[in-house]
Amino acid sequence: MNLRKAALYGGAGLAVVVLVEQATGVGELTSSGTVGASLRLAIPILMAALGGLYSERAGVVNIGLEGMMIMGTWFAAWGAWLYGPWWGVVLGVLGGAAGGLLHALATVTFNVDHIISGVAINILAAGGMRFLSVIAYADPATGGGATQSPRVPGLPTVDLPFLAGGSLFGWDTPDLFGGLERLGWPVVSDLGGILRGLTGGLSWLTVIGLALVPLTWFALWRTPWGLRLRSVGENPWAAESLGVAVYTMKYWGVVISGALAGLGGAFLVLVQANIYRESQTAGRGFIGLATMIFGNWRPSGALGGAVLFGFADALRLRDPAAVRALLAVVAVGLAALAVRAVLKGDPRRAATVGGAAAVFGLVFYSVEEVASEFIFMTPYVVTLLVLAFASQRLRMPAADGVRYRKGEAT
Amino acid sequence: MSTTSDIPGKLIFLGRPHTAGRPTIEEEFDVRKTRLIALLAVLALVAAACGGGEGAGDEGADVLVGLAYDIGGRGDKSFNDSAAAGLDRAKEDFGIEAQELEPTAGGENREENLQLLAEAGADLIFAIGFAFADGVANVAPNFPDTSFGIVDAVVDLPNVASLVFAEEQGSALVGCIAGLMTESGTVGFIGGVNIDLIQKFEAGYIFGAQHCNPDVQVESRYLTEPPDFSGFSDPAKGREAAAALYDAGADIVYHAAGGSGAGLFEEAAARREAGGQNIWAIGVDSDQYNTVSEDLRDVILTSMLKRVDVAVYNTIEAFVNGEFNAGVNVFDLSVDGVGYSTSGGFIPQDVIDKVEELKSQIVAGEVTVPTAP
Repeated sequence: MNLRKAALYGGAGLAVVVLVEQATGVGELTSSGTVGASLRLAIPILMAALGGLYSERAGVVNIGLEGMMIMGTWFAAWGAWLYGPWWGVVLGVLGGAAGGLLHALATVTFNVDHIISGVAINILAAGGMRFLSVIAYADPATGGGATQSPRVPGLPTVDLPFLAGGSLFGWDTPDLFGGLERLGWPVVSDLGGILRGLTGGLSWLTVIGLALVPLTWFALWRTPWGLRLRSVGENPWAAESLGVAVYTMKYWGVVISGALAGLGGAFLVLVQANIYRESQTAGRGFIGLATMIFGNWRPSGALGGAVLFGFADALRLRDPAAVRALLAVVAVGLAALAVRAVLKGDPRRAATVGGAAAVFGLVFYSVEEVASEFIFMTPYVVTLLVLAFASQRLRMPAADGVRYRKGEAT
Repeated sequence: MSTTSDIPGKLIFLGRPHTAGRPTIEEEFDVRKTRLIALLAVLALVAAACGGGEGAGDEGADVLVGLAYDIGGRGDKSFNDSAAAGLDRAKEDFGIEAQELEPTAGGENREENLQLLAEAGADLIFAIGFAFADGVANVAPNFPDTSFGIVDAVVDLPNVASLVFAEEQGSALVGCIAGLMTESGTVGFIGGVNIDLIQKFEAGYIFGAQHCNPDVQVESRYLTEPPDFSGFSDPAKGREAAAALYDAGADIVYHAAGGSGAGLFEEAAARREAGGQNIWAIGVDSDQYNTVSEDLRDVILTSMLKRVDVAVYNTIEAFVNGEFNAGVNVFDLSVDGVGYSTSGGFIPQDVIDKVEELKSQIVAGEVTVPTAP
């Protein structure tokens, strides 16, 4: 049922994209380069979003994700510099988890306001990592400095054999999807480009990051542990009365949250940049948090939001002119949502969504070249609008951000 | 539960109970000890002051130079380090005293740092970066006897020297190199943040490339728009933009994106490794061939040099000699305030000859480089 629905939506989406590409002559929407870049830009945001999910499902608001991600970037680079890239991943995760532990200590044990603790962690991480850089890279011979690490070894990337032309035991296999993309046939080449982007230049961290989405769903919605964790976020007093160790579950949620944010930071350093640079996270933790909220505190929503943001970001970086084509795609998508609302008998919603679709369509038709300021805004606007209109009703965990003390149940 | 936990806190905050009348023997001893420590501290200060006096004797001995770095500070391997190098050289040559301050990671306290340096009695204060423009405009009028130097911005005050660079001229030279050496006929440019200052780099680069090779195509990408300045410190975005430009057919890409440039070098090196023989990157501000790790050097064709160190050093020299020049000081090709590097020896001699020819034409005023694309 769900799979059929997903296939239907995917097929419809592809049809729209292909039509727009044919109409505007923009090829970047489905090129393997754009799809690969989207994936790379999406993963750090996705990790922060999943991190936020664990924490908020356990009832702790985590605005400190950005700080935990910063800790992840620093420790990932330091670990990779000392021991190699995989140790970088381990240390990055541990660094983020340490930030999570601090947040848990403050909010769960000491009952500090969640926002205040989170903001404090963001400030602390920025300053603390600067301090560590000064110590670790004090010797100019390291090649690092107060604001950056030396170049560190990155994780290798692979092209899947046969599908994307990777080599197998030293033999260069044919590049099936790449070949399809180069044919230049509509639909076939678009599909080839998308699949080539998803199967070529892959890092193991990308695979792990994507695998964490179903894993998170399974852990939170299909295991007793997940039920306990979510119950703590919905009604900790009821959970306590049933014998759930509320503090422990909250600690789990927040520490995992930090670890995932740290993994996102490690991805930034070890897959994309091969260097730690001060403030290189550039707000990705906050974007992840927002994605998770607009994704309705669900793993699938977080994935959708992160991928959408990554796609829009990749598109504007790769070909600013293609952003105009994206506006057309969004307009058609919103129009489809409006039609759905009409069919479901919700005229007010249909009017709002339809209005937004009309605005996008109008901008697409009336503007020859989109202003650079707007191009830069696109990822934010598109993600916000699509997620806001796609989810019917946002419902946060009932006890999210609520202070809880053991033994206060009445 | 919560009420009992408050009690120890109250005890601590109340402190020791006061005793009326004469101090006890213990308290008397405390006071004496404090006085002794204070005396020692004063002696130490006097000794330190005397020690500082020794070794002086140069003309700049009693000049205190303050230097306020922009985000990144000393050790950023780029802009700030260049200023620091100029300061260090001046310290050695003129025997000046120096005080340096770095801003917070977000740069919120830039103006505060200027104020602090001025109050500390600095005679000449450098503000490193265009972001200090408002700060200098606010602080300088309150300290009319203090001289200020601001890099990359113009502040029109009687005690401020505005140290600006002709980035477009240096960029035109590296653009010329790119135009002459491209094999694909397309070259690329990555700007960190879409602001006027970075557009100067782009304009000069495009001009230079097309001046030396009229058939060349130039593709540009900017990483962020103001007020988001993360485009100067986001190597991941820099790398994706570089990948886009190389995919679009460019074989030489120039960046004016600060720390994000590391992503360009990574992408260039990865493509070189995958067989792209004519893939090159061009660095900016300092000679990046010398600042990147050795594995990346081979892709850095040249760097556009912006000699912030020269600006800082020359301004200190002028100040020490009593020739401080308030107003706009332009550091262009004619004073070697900008230029290009040849480290690595990747540029053939015939290309260098043509670039030198363009350089002399620009210096002579025969060729004017545009400052906006």
